[in-house]
Amino acid sequence: MTTGRTILAFPSASEFGSRRIFKRSLRNALRVSEFSVIVDFTGHGTLDHEDIDLLLECVAQSTDRDTQLELVAGSRAVRIVLDVIRISSLVRVFNSLDEALTQSQMVASKLARNVPAVPFELPRSA
Amino acid sequence: MELAAVVMVPSGLGFGGERKSQAFATITSGTGQALRSALLPILGNDVLQTWTERIRKVGVQDIWLTSSGKEAPPALGQFVKQGIERLLMIKLKSYAEMDLDDLVRFHCQSGSPVTEVSDSRGRLGISVFDQLAFSGDEKFSADDKKSGNLMNRNCTQYPFGGYAKRILSPRERQELIGDALTGACEMRPAGEQIAERVWVGKDVSLAQSAKIIGPSYIGDRAIVAAGATIGPFTSVERDCIVDCGTMVERSTVLPSTYLGAGLLIRRALVDGGQLEDLEDGTVADLQPAGLAHRVTPRKLRRQAFNNDTPIFSPDCNAWIGTQFVPEFQQVRP
Repeated sequence: MTTGRTILAFPSASEFGSRRIFKRSLRNALRVSEFSVIVDFTGHGTLDHEDIDLLLECVAQSTDRDTQLELVAGSRAVRIVLDVIRISSLVRVFNSLDEALTQSQMVASKLARNVPAVPFELPRSA
Repeated sequence: MELAAVVMVPSGLGFGGERKSQAFATITSGTGQALRSALLPILGNDVLQTWTERIRKVGVQDIWLTSSGKEAPPALGQFVKQGIERLLMIKLKSYAEMDLDDLVRFHCQSGSPVTEVSDSRGRLGISVFDQLAFSGDEKFSADDKKSGNLMNRNCTQYPFGGYAKRILSPRERQELIGDALTGACEMRPAGEQIAERVWVGKDVSLAQSAKIIGPSYIGDRAIVAAGATIGPFTSVERDCIVDCGTMVERSTVLPSTYLGAGLLIRRALVDGGQLEDLEDGTVADLQPAGLAHRVTPRKLRRQAFNNDTPIFSPDCNAWIGTQFVPEFQQVRP
């Protein structure tokens, strides 16, 4: 079963168990989501080194997959930290969840229009 | 005409009462966070010193310093006893290239007890008081003096049309840096020019692969590591460390700041672990993520090691002992 997009709340630093659950959820989401997985930082005032380690792990997991990873900063302070570590050059970063959903919707509809009716045939090797 | 001057630095400096200007060293060791931008150097220049030089040009020898935030502290009454007829008061919140002689002349001609300097964007924090404004004259009640109302009553405005920037505003501070680097104002970077519009201070370490794009300034004893890019329109003040691959553009890095590797600092003011965005004023804390923090100045570390006595570092708000000090020691608040 596939879904359009999945939204995952980024766990806070104090919850060790929730980080493990988050990683597992992310792996599943990357497998089943059709378009994107949105990681939401809303509620985080700032990011510490553990948050950044986890975030880099997320980015590493999402590479070489069809499903895109997208981030929602939630606040200007978090957005600044994400820009400072240049994560926005690897994944798309949005300021709010609404913005991310609107953008994802637009991309999804664009993709749906571009999908050919007949599957593309690979050229046969000689 | 006996003229004296008082330079007011924003409150929170942590030293009591007024002091003579000879004690500058004590003043610059203030650790109040609110003061940082007022007292810390701009392209290696001390704004306080710039003002005192201007004041001395008017012929004023007695310059008093106060950390009081009040418009007219009660202690001003003491000046009357010393025979001071006029008092030039400068709040250390702006950099203005103004002719103080002309201001004093304007004040004398206006006959007003208080003259205040303002430009198109408002007050600059520079005023001249007549003796009767701070003496026991009945025109001004004690309540007025305490509440600062005497600045609003019977005050003549001196319109200033020259170059002025409010240094407490990070954005205007950055504008001042840009103007000084491009020669648009009188201020010049305190250092040696090594390339077109690139200035460096003393004992600066620049890696071979580091790139400095002018106009830019690197302050005394700063370290720019391999692959780092500084500029354009950037000021890295004294004792800063910019680690490998980090890009700093259109920004100011305040003294004794360490910037981690691979960062992108754009249109910001960085002070220790705090980064302020110049666009919207948002402050982000980079310290918990280990991206930036305050470092002990190299000079003080060396002194502490050589003299075998602990030295207080005002930038770090900490004592530096003779024990082993790691290269990138992090000073926790």
